[in-house]
Amino acid sequence: MEKAINRQRVLLDHLRPSSQTHHQSSLSASVCLAGDSAAYHRTAAFGDDVVIVAAYRTALCKSKRGGYKDTHPDDLLAPVLKALIEKTNLNPNEVGDIIVGTVLAPGSQRATECRMAAFYAGFPETVPIRTVNRQCSSGLQAVADVAAAIKAGFYDIGIGAGLESMTINPMGWEGSINPRAKDFQPAEDCLLPMGITSENVAHRFGVSRQEQDQAAVESHRKAAAATASGKFKDEIIPVTTKIVDPKTGNEKHVTISVDDGIRPDTSLATLAKLKPVFKRDGSTTAGNSSQVSDGAGAVLLMKRSVAMQKGLPILGVFRSFAAVGVDPAVMGVGPAVAIPAAVKSAGLELDDIDLFEINEAFASQYVYCCKKLELDPEKVNVNGGAMAIGHPLGATGARCVATLLHEMKRRGKDCRFGVISMCIGTGMGAAAVFERGDCVDPLCNARQVGTNNLLSKDVL
Amino acid sequence: MPVFKTPFNGYAVKFSPFYENRLAVATSQNFGILGNGRVHVLDLTPAGPIAEFCAFETADGVYDCTWSEDNDNLLVTAVADGSVKLWDLALPPTANPIRSLHEHSREVHSVDWNPVRRDSFLTSSWDDTVKLWTVDRPASVRTFKEHAYCVYSSVWNPRHADVFASASGDCTVRIWDVREPASTMILPAHEFEILSCDWNKYDDCVIATASVDKSIKVWDVRSFRVPISVLQGHTYAVRRVKFSPHRDSLIASCSYDMTVCLWDYRVEDALVGRYDHHTEFAVGVDMSVLVEGLLATTGWDELVYVWQHGTDPRAP
Repeated sequence: MEKAINRQRVLLDHLRPSSQTHHQSSLSASVCLAGDSAAYHRTAAFGDDVVIVAAYRTALCKSKRGGYKDTHPDDLLAPVLKALIEKTNLNPNEVGDIIVGTVLAPGSQRATECRMAAFYAGFPETVPIRTVNRQCSSGLQAVADVAAAIKAGFYDIGIGAGLESMTINPMGWEGSINPRAKDFQPAEDCLLPMGITSENVAHRFGVSRQEQDQAAVESHRKAAAATASGKFKDEIIPVTTKIVDPKTGNEKHVTISVDDGIRPDTSLATLAKLKPVFKRDGSTTAGNSSQVSDGAGAVLLMKRSVAMQKGLPILGVFRSFAAVGVDPAVMGVGPAVAIPAAVKSAGLELDDIDLFEINEAFASQYVYCCKKLELDPEKVNVNGGAMAIGHPLGATGARCVATLLHEMKRRGKDCRFGVISMCIGTGMGAAAVFERGDCVDPLCNARQVGTNNLLSKDVL
Repeated sequence: MPVFKTPFNGYAVKFSPFYENRLAVATSQNFGILGNGRVHVLDLTPAGPIAEFCAFETADGVYDCTWSEDNDNLLVTAVADGSVKLWDLALPPTANPIRSLHEHSREVHSVDWNPVRRDSFLTSSWDDTVKLWTVDRPASVRTFKEHAYCVYSSVWNPRHADVFASASGDCTVRIWDVREPASTMILPAHEFEILSCDWNKYDDCVIATASVDKSIKVWDVRSFRVPISVLQGHTYAVRRVKFSPHRDSLIASCSYDMTVCLWDYRVEDALVGRYDHHTEFAVGVDMSVLVEGLLATTGWDELVYVWQHGTDPRAP
C-alpha cells in the first residue's frame, strides 16, 4: 500500500507545480469526484447507469375547486402511465415494475386503484404495481426505489410514479391517538399540524413574514412566466375528464392541460392582507404555504444499455438518493440536511449543482433551506414551486423530476447536475441528484466561449 | 483513423522501426498506481480496425516500452515493480518474457534503445538512477547515479553512440557520455520537475525538455544559458516531448491537460496543431519513422489513437 501512496505522491506532484514538491511529507489528494462540472464528460457513461428516458405529469389543480374535483384518482394516474408508453413506443410487457408514491388514501384501496389505472393505461396483467408512502417525498421515493431495483438487477425497465387526489382524500387522522405519545416528545411532535411546524421553523430560525411572502410572490411570478412561455407543455399530459356544476348538476367534459393554481397577479400587498392560519401571531398564511392539489406524475427509468439499444433519448441519469431524519417539530428543515447528503453520495459538492427543485411546502422552510445552504436564487425553483403550482403530496416528487429534467434539457450543457429535495412530515428530508443526459444540445444553446481550457475545477 | 481500446490505462506508445504498420503500447491498471500491467503489440490493417498481434501481461504496471533497433521481434518494457522485461514476439506468451532484469529499486519510468550502436539500451527509474544494459548480459553494464530525485526519462543522442541525456524531477537535465566517469553537463533547464527530454534528429546539439511548469524548452547544449525557444501553450505539466524524425524543427508533446500538441520551434507562432481527442491525461505520443506524419497517442482514457497529422484522430 505504501508503494501505491508513493506513486500517487509522485504523480500528484506533476499536477501541483511547486519547486520543492518532493520535500513535502504528507500526501493530500483532492476528493475523487464521481463527476464534476468539467466542460466534457469526464465520467464514462456506463451501460448499467440508471437513466430516465421520459418524465411526464398531469397539470396540477386545486383540490375541491379545481379541474379534477370530480375525477377519480385512477383517472389521473392512467393518462401519465399511458403517455410514457405511447411517447417512447415501449412495449408495456417489458416494464418490470411500477411503483406509485401516494400518501393520504387508505393503503390497500389506493394500491387497488393503481392496479386498475395500469389496466386503463393499457398495461397487460403481467406487469406488477405497488405503492410506496414516504409522505411528501413518496413520488421521489418511488423513482429512487425503481432506480435501486434496476441497479440491483431485479429488472431493467421500471416506472416510478406519484398520485394524489386531495379532493377525495383530505388530510386527517382516523381512530384515537395513543396516550403514550405524551411521554415521548418527538413522538408527540409527529402529531403537530404541518402549519405549526412551519411556524416553528419561522420562529426558531428567524424567517420573517416579509421574506415568506416575497418567496410566494417569486414562486407565482416564475410559474406564471413558465406557463406563459409554454415551458410546461413538454411535461404536462392533458387529462380529459368531467366537471360537475355544483348548482345545476350538469356534467361538462373538459381537457385540462394547465396548472390552475398559479396567480400571476400575486403581490406582496395582497399577501400581506392574509391572516395567519395556524397561530394568531404567526406568519404562515394560505398565501405563503403550498397549495392543496390533485395530480399525478410518472417517470420511465431503465438501464442505459437498454435505452441505447432501443434508441431512446436519455433525459437524465439517476445519480444518488438520500433520506434523512430531522426534528419532527421543525420538519421543514429536511432539505437543508438531505441535499448535502445526496450531493456527497454522488461524489459532488454543492457548487457542482446547476439547478435545484426544492418543494415549497411552506415559504418559511423553503426560505430557511435556501439560506442555510447558501443557494444561488438563480438556480432554485426556476419555474416556480408548490406555492404556485401546488403540492399533491404523493405526486410532487414525480412532478419535480419532470420539471427538473425538462428544464435541464432546455439549458443544455451548462446545466449538468440537478437536485430534487423536499421536507417530509414527521421530520425527514429526501433529496436526489440527477445528471443531464448526453443528448446533443439544441442550437439555441450555442454561445461564444471566452476561454476554455477544458479542465475541470477539481484539478485546478 | 482507427482507435484501439486497451483494458488498462495507457502509458506509452512506440512505432516499430521495422514495420510501418506495427506499434507497441504500454498500459497499467488503475492509472499505474496499483495492479497489473500489459503491453500490447498492435497491427494497423489497411482501412480496417487496429488488430492486436499479441499482448503480454505483467504483475505490475508497464510505464514505457521500446523496440529493439536490431531485432524486429524484440521489445523492452519498463515495469513499475523496478524490473525491465524483454519480450520476443516470435515466441508464445508462455515462453515470455525472455529476460527479466531486476536491479532498479523503484519504478522504472523509461526505456530507450541505442539507435546508433543498436546493441544496448538505457532505463531510468524513480530510484534516481539510469542504467545501461546490453542484450547479452544478465546484469547492467553501468549505473549512472547523480540525480537527486526520480529520473523520468533518458534518451540516446541520435548521432553519437555513447551520448545520452536524462531528465529528472530534481529540475535538471544531465548529458552523459558512457565513456566518461561522470555526467559531462548539467542543464538546470526548468524551475520545476522535468518529465521528458528528446534530442533533435537532425541537429545533435539540440535538445527539448518538458516540465511540470507547463512549458517545453528547446536548448542548444553548446550554449545552454538561455533556451533557443520556450513553447508555451499546455495548461498542465507536459508529460512527454518528441522530435519529429522527418522535419528538423517539428516537436510533438502530450500533457496532463489531455491535449497533444505539435510545435515548430523555429517560428514565432510555434503551435502548429492541437489535438484534444483524449478525455483523460495524454501520456504517450510517438511519431512514425517509416510513415511521415503518422502519429500515435495513448492516455489514461484507455484509448490508443493512430492518425495522419492534419486529420481528425476521432474520424472513423
